[in-house]
Amino acid sequence: MNRTTAQGILEKVLKCAKADAVVASLHGEDAASTRMSDNVITQNVQCRKTTLHVECAYGQRHGSASTDDLHEEALKAAVERAQTIAQASPPDEEYLPPVEAVEAGKYARVDAFCERTARSTPEEKARALAAAAQQVQAAKLRLSGGFASGARFFALANSAGLRAYHAMTEASFHATVLGPAGSGWAECTANRIGGIDVAATARKALETCRAAQNPRPVEPGPYDVILSPAAIGEMMRFAFQWTLDAKSADEGRSCLRGKLGTQVFGRNIGILSDPAEPTCPTAPFFGDGMAVPRIAWVEQGVLKNLAYSRFWAKKQGRTPTGHPTNLRMKGGDTSLERMIASVGRGLLVNRFWYIRYVDPMRPTLTGMTRDGLFLIEDGRIAGPVQQMRFNEDTTAMLNRVEMLGPVERTGSALMPTVKVKDFHFDSATKF
Amino acid sequence: MKDLCQYAVDAAAGLGARYADARIVRFRRQQVNTEDLRVSGIGDSESLGLGVRVIAHGAWGFAAGTELDREAVAGTARRAVEIARASALAADPAGIRWAAETPVTGCFRTDVAKDPFAMPLDVKTGLLLDVARRALAVPGVKKCHGAMHFKKEHRFFVNSEGTTIESETTTSTARYTATAVDANTARTRYFEAYPANAGYEHLERFPLLDEAPRVAEEAVRKLSGKTCPVGRRDLVLHPSHLALTLHESIGHATELDRVLGMEESLAGSSFATVDRLGKLQYGSPLMNVLCDNTLPAGLATRGYDDDGVPGQRWHVIRDGILVDYMTGREVCHAIGADRSRGSCRADSWASIPIVRQSNIGLEPGSRPLTPDELIAGVDDGIYIEGMGSFSIDQKRLNFQFGGDCFWEIRNGRKGEMLKDVTYQAITTEFWGALDAICDRRFWQPYGVMNCGKGDPMQIAQMTHGSAPARFRGIRVGGANL
Repeated sequence: MNRTTAQGILEKVLKCAKADAVVASLHGEDAASTRMSDNVITQNVQCRKTTLHVECAYGQRHGSASTDDLHEEALKAAVERAQTIAQASPPDEEYLPPVEAVEAGKYARVDAFCERTARSTPEEKARALAAAAQQVQAAKLRLSGGFASGARFFALANSAGLRAYHAMTEASFHATVLGPAGSGWAECTANRIGGIDVAATARKALETCRAAQNPRPVEPGPYDVILSPAAIGEMMRFAFQWTLDAKSADEGRSCLRGKLGTQVFGRNIGILSDPAEPTCPTAPFFGDGMAVPRIAWVEQGVLKNLAYSRFWAKKQGRTPTGHPTNLRMKGGDTSLERMIASVGRGLLVNRFWYIRYVDPMRPTLTGMTRDGLFLIEDGRIAGPVQQMRFNEDTTAMLNRVEMLGPVERTGSALMPTVKVKDFHFDSATKF
Repeated sequence: MKDLCQYAVDAAAGLGARYADARIVRFRRQQVNTEDLRVSGIGDSESLGLGVRVIAHGAWGFAAGTELDREAVAGTARRAVEIARASALAADPAGIRWAAETPVTGCFRTDVAKDPFAMPLDVKTGLLLDVARRALAVPGVKKCHGAMHFKKEHRFFVNSEGTTIESETTTSTARYTATAVDANTARTRYFEAYPANAGYEHLERFPLLDEAPRVAEEAVRKLSGKTCPVGRRDLVLHPSHLALTLHESIGHATELDRVLGMEESLAGSSFATVDRLGKLQYGSPLMNVLCDNTLPAGLATRGYDDDGVPGQRWHVIRDGILVDYMTGREVCHAIGADRSRGSCRADSWASIPIVRQSNIGLEPGSRPLTPDELIAGVDDGIYIEGMGSFSIDQKRLNFQFGGDCFWEIRNGRKGEMLKDVTYQAITTEFWGALDAICDRRFWQPYGVMNCGKGDPMQIAQMTHGSAPARFRGIRVGGANL
């Protein structure tokens, strides 16, 4: 839906609302995904939908409602539901009036829409997958994976005069290549479908799969590890995306309590968010219309900022930041080859799987290696080993990062390859 | 709505689909949230749309949208067929083997005494705020979050074989957490009216308010609990905890699509492969695992699945041996079955049905046994209640679980509280260590509302029941650093 149509619907919503304050937003997507298993397409789906969300407030009383039905009567019904809830709700001391119209002037310029990506067809994706499957099948291996693309938009209008619209596209391909006794994996995500090299990504997974055949068991314990961008990215998502909340920290309920402004991590650690990041852009505004800032969370290992909601920022006399919409970890210039050469005995991790908190107050994470774990001995890859479980205190781990490589996109993050000393594995599985 | 579904099916058939089904589903959800003594948010959402699934050109296609006029419905059906044509570019040469199913005209409705959407908001917020007052009155408790969640799903299903189904399922749940904070750390304890397909009356059966002081006091005691020991201990697991262990180590491992590799690229596969059916010693001979999509109030109980197959009851594990799987019409042929077990569901009109866990539970022990007697048989062990940290490898073998609250067991008695307990095992070794299960009097259903699977990701719900059970010599403390 284009800006004009979306704003037309939102104006109707504002017009029929009687509440003191109203925030109306539309979120729409046209998304398609083609999925493959054992070299054949097993699922192929497309969905188009647009959802209206409306929040109404009378003084400090507020309520919200949403609907996928954009006919005029349904819009009115959603507004009435939100108003009814607001009137029945007790006052909320943390409710703040809608974001002012001037906020739009703070929005970053984000270029994330690609017409070709929005128009990508199921046939285009199926042909790319079929070609990748042929490549894998020729090696007598099996490809499973998914190729997705889509366009989405977010439009907002509120009773304070703010109007906002953002459209973006995204495409991704992930490949798991399976052999008789081992597997490999690779992924690629971009905002333009032209940035997805299906053949190269499948080839990378294929090569990892070949190298991963017939893994042998090794003893769990501390190992120097080289973590791929995907592996460290998954850990950082848990360690930062969900723990930066300032209110939790200020109330003593988070691992970052009392740590703002202090040296928490090694001096080589830097983490920031930037909606205008060229290779990993995000929407320039949050769901309430507040601008998404470019912000450094960690600089030279010092925790520089926490994530403040508008209410908590006002209470604490800080600037509101919102939570991270993307993460960029500062990289370095060490090549993977040099990292491997620096390891006496260690492990190269292709990816992690099923990471969860064990103790969110440290925070300690657990997870499994998956689709490619390799032993390094005397500066060389010695061969594949069976998958293992880790338990690791991420704060301590980020004080043991010895080398950093160039960053690359993994999901909605930009992450480097990292070398970490004494990473803690404590059990093995059977494959 | 049925007419529109039929219109979509006819449109797809007219375009050459050899099979088509259409689902129009209206969801209504209400979420009530509190933080301490304030109502932090009340949301009410509605979602209505159509999903059309076809087999055409020997391959699958699925399209979904929210426009429900006849022209748009025909357009959605047309897109589904066009997508199937694209799928045919790399379709399985063996074709799709779609299990036969007798056409039905079916109807199902959750038993609801009190429609949760008709209950006044101030009753809901009042209860959660009263809970918070009691929890926050306990010294050391600094935070109390409360939540109620209600969902109603009204589904119309029509397929090209003549099946027509209408169902209405209602789900209700409430939960709160109390968080204690001291100078060094913080710990949280929760209580819930476990999720069930039922009305508001389900919540009224739970002493949500009366339990608040105990829950809050236990949050405080968790702060100073003894650290988890390292080594091997006997475990006594309460049904509120065992539900998640069942879910991860048995439920997902026995979904036949996973077993066949269809989820390999995301959620993973399974060690419980088809060649081991009827042979794999999954666990102790005491272990009988029953799937039951007819379970009253079960979260997966909805009359018929999204393949149009009626709910059924069957064992996947009997006397410790793997004897069956959870299946859908597309995959059941792989184990020589000529009929699906009816375990194929979509989380929305916007999603394609995939094999999902049914309601799946561990059957109670056949001899009279109380929880106290179960604990009395432990010299050195740990008693665990509630769900906590969980992680398992992609073939469902190596797992690590935490929990919500832990107590030492010494010389047959429940003792001091422990904190941060984790246990690790290989699935078959863990279930092989099962040596006693309490009897039917102590069997309790718990539920999972956030089971993620599929690509695009779908979130499903299902019930997992058990009685308290005992496991010998399980490795604990592996996560201690």
